[in-house]
Amino acid sequence: MTTPTSSTGLRIARVLPDLCLLAAMPLLVYSVHRVFMSTPIEQSMGTAFKIFFFHVPMGWLCMLMALISGIAAAVQLRRRSSGAAAVALAAAEIGFVTGLGVLLTGPIWGNATWGKPWTGDARQVSTALLWLVIVAYLLLRHYGPRSSDRLAAALAIFGAVNVPLIYYAVTLWKTLHPSTTVVASLPKEMWMTFWPGLGGLLLVSLGLLGLRIRQLRLADELDAAWVQLEDPPR
Amino acid sequence: MRLLRQALLLLRSELRQELRDFELLLTAGFFTVVLLAMFYLSFASLQAKAHLHALPGLMWLTVAFVGVLTLTRVFDREREADTLRALLAAPIDRLAIYLAKAAMALSVLMVCCAVLVPGLWLIFPAAQAFADQPGQTALLALLGCGGYVAIGTLFAAGLATGAGKNTLLFIILYPLTTPVLMYALVTTRALIDRDPGLPGHLMQMFVLDVILFAAACLLFETVLIGAPVRPHRRPPLRPSVHRDMSREPSR
Amino acid sequence: MNEIIPSPAEPVPAAPAGPAAPAGPSPDEYAPVVGISKEDTATLRMLEGKAADKTARDYEHIVWAYGVLWALFAAYGLFLWRRSARLRADMNELQRSLDRR
Repeated sequence: MTTPTSSTGLRIARVLPDLCLLAAMPLLVYSVHRVFMSTPIEQSMGTAFKIFFFHVPMGWLCMLMALISGIAAAVQLRRRSSGAAAVALAAAEIGFVTGLGVLLTGPIWGNATWGKPWTGDARQVSTALLWLVIVAYLLLRHYGPRSSDRLAAALAIFGAVNVPLIYYAVTLWKTLHPSTTVVASLPKEMWMTFWPGLGGLLLVSLGLLGLRIRQLRLADELDAAWVQLEDPPR
Repeated sequence: MRLLRQALLLLRSELRQELRDFELLLTAGFFTVVLLAMFYLSFASLQAKAHLHALPGLMWLTVAFVGVLTLTRVFDREREADTLRALLAAPIDRLAIYLAKAAMALSVLMVCCAVLVPGLWLIFPAAQAFADQPGQTALLALLGCGGYVAIGTLFAAGLATGAGKNTLLFIILYPLTTPVLMYALVTTRALIDRDPGLPGHLMQMFVLDVILFAAACLLFETVLIGAPVRPHRRPPLRPSVHRDMSREPSR
Repeated sequence: MNEIIPSPAEPVPAAPAGPAAPAGPSPDEYAPVVGISKEDTATLRMLEGKAADKTARDYEHIVWAYGVLWALFAAYGLFLWRRSARLRADMNELQRSLDRR
């Protein structure tokens, strides 16, 4: 029997993804307006620098989703929780989308600014490697054998642990491949344009995450219902 | 101590099995030789300066490819005879299974490195540094293969328990082992260049190996058989046949 | 009130040295801005042209980058929508099975 508090909590949890998406809309509109109308042109990189205001938040969101996936996978293993498994898979999917966004917009920005799509920058390489780990997790969840849920969870945990390891390893690896491209540090007024973009994309990601978790939980419930229908308990 | 004794017992059984027909050592060793031949055909005609840059990559890519083959074969025996289930049901510490399998895979990889490193020295003059610093080269090979095996054994075991497809091991292992690979590449380059910072690089690899081994040990039992079910928790799937489905959300 | 007014006898100080202003141009001749030579103006126009090209090229890249991002989110939204449709169909099928019993 649900208590009034828990049913209110459930109702809030149910509409939270929709609220996130609704809140993201004006924030994104404001962000785009700020980027193109209120932000001065960056001195060394010119107009193409405006890609930065969406490219970098996507990178941060990719790492955040990898961490969420890893933590949820650890909970899944520890508590045998299907809810946590749903969170891990949903976060990995959002991480895939945001990671792909970074890997596509990065070369576009690099081509415009330095004439080279792939500069071998440490952050670029480490994001690419992290994205490969996320893809491996998704492939294992979709094509793995029935018992591979736990294995996939271990993969997600290793992936999350790898986030700082990969970055540090690539920084070390860069000593073999130094590059001459340098991203200028952001002046203070440009941070005021950066945060709304980050906020908007974060709300979109969280909204999509909530929707996907809800779908996965529903799919689990339906599977259980079908099993019980076809093989009712005596 | 009990854990180590059990691990040594299992390792002795693995080695005894291997020494009967040398299947794993011969196949992995031959694969190493084939790769060396392919590297010779592909890169021997390049300038010596190009060899210098390529050498670390050649060495560690070989370890990566031979490693997957080794790990697959180490668990194939268990899968074919379905003995992994028996091992898991036996009254031994599950971690002993992981340690024994990891030690077996590491031994095979070290034998392959004993073929690989002299082979590279023969083909590429830039590999003279390997011959001049044999102790450091051996330690580098041990640490690099150790990190690789730490992750690989966990996932190979996980795929061996179910009707796991071996091809999935390639998909899982290569992205996860890139930090180990990168550390190994940098340290190998430091070895070839006779960099005074080599001990620092080796120490970093050691620390990375410890982290990876610790993570794998913590996860091994849970991945293979799952976490223990607590009595007061309800089962994970909630049958809900009698709910009013029409009131479900439209999404 | 205290400003110095030069006496008519005193010459007015000359303007700073620069290229001599040309005589008034004929209607079909190029008339540069006073103080800037033809070469300097040509250089200025060329640089402005380059800057305009770069800005146009940059905007093309920006459009591609933003387009890619929105396309990715739209594709994921489409994926979610299709999954929802499949779940709804599954739920309806389950309801029909229950009604049949």
